[in-house]
Amino acid sequence: MDSRVITITSGKGGVGKTTTTANLGTALAMQGKKVVVVDSDIGLRNLDAVLGLENRIVYDLVDVVEGQCRLRQALIKDKRLPELYLLPAAQTRDKNAINSVQMVQLCQQLRQEFEFVLIDSPAGIEQGFRNAIVGADEIIIVTNPEMASVRDADRIIGLVEAAGKPEPRLILNRLRPDMVRRGDMMDVADVLEVLGIDLLGIVPEDELIIVATNKGEPVVYDKRSRAGQAFMNAALRILGEEIPLEELMEAPTLMERLRRLVGFGPAVIGKRTRSWPS
Amino acid sequence: MSMLDFMASRKRPRPGELAKERLKVVLVQDRVKVNPELLEQIKADLLRVISERLEVDEQHVEITMTREDRWDKLQAAVPIKRQKITFEWDPPYYGPSAEGLQGPLQVEVEREEPSS
Repeated sequence: MDSRVITITSGKGGVGKTTTTANLGTALAMQGKKVVVVDSDIGLRNLDAVLGLENRIVYDLVDVVEGQCRLRQALIKDKRLPELYLLPAAQTRDKNAINSVQMVQLCQQLRQEFEFVLIDSPAGIEQGFRNAIVGADEIIIVTNPEMASVRDADRIIGLVEAAGKPEPRLILNRLRPDMVRRGDMMDVADVLEVLGIDLLGIVPEDELIIVATNKGEPVVYDKRSRAGQAFMNAALRILGEEIPLEELMEAPTLMERLRRLVGFGPAVIGKRTRSWPS
Repeated sequence: MSMLDFMASRKRPRPGELAKERLKVVLVQDRVKVNPELLEQIKADLLRVISERLEVDEQHVEITMTREDRWDKLQAAVPIKRQKITFEWDPPYYGPSAEGLQGPLQVEVEREEPSS
């Protein structure tokens, strides 16, 4: 089978790797693809909970690698989508429980069964991260528009390049259009200028993500959710469809326009004149 | 420039803008191991070489690391003081016609002062 192994990583923790993996995997399966999502965050498994599959786990990734069970036994079928499977992480082991060679072999095995293998990477740049990318054809980096996360993303881009992988693509997660409009948050162009890689998707901050996670249902199912729509669009772009990037800037509110008119409030965003020392 | 634009341009950088500028600086430092001392050394080396040919305004030389796309760049702005550039060399010997050119040659080039 002609399959693609895609690793979702970030460097910094808490930026939305697991949410992104769960939603891209679900979205690809909704498009009729045969998908497995792999939780490679050994010792800190969460992908199972985001997908609502936490009480179905019998065997895990480490069991497969160590030969304690067959791959088929460890794969958990999704509740709704017949073409979506989860390979959970071990919870009682640590990240050194498997090595790069075993991970490459596992990816080879998964390629035979699935069109898409999505690997949720652990945070950090140590062995767990290296295992997560070693078997990947493509890398997706998740970052938030704030300094620490973008800085770590840049470090990861360097490590991905050094590992001989193709240039990663970016998902800019948890963007707050209201803050960007006020000039209080870096906008999409700022982050792209700094990181210099291609954009796969822009996902706005959305309370419905927490609601969805609480229910154990990825937010892509929720048609009202802008984040869900954004994840679906990113998945379609993975499939090669040309979907224009989300226009997240709403028109400024009346109050904001009034404030600008009288000269208070932030400078006009867009073409910037820069009079201060850089 | 309209009045509103003028007022906007006078404003201090917004936090989002500030974050980007701070990131650019910190990423260059993360990626290339360049510290201020090394930059000073590079500056001194450059000045030494350039001063052999041109008279440099040493007070206004600027050496900076910047970043464009994924490339880190060393940028040097070296203002030149004098209008006249003098240099000297031994011309190569090309045969009988160049006989008159043997020995050191003094060349003077008139250089226009930049308009700014």
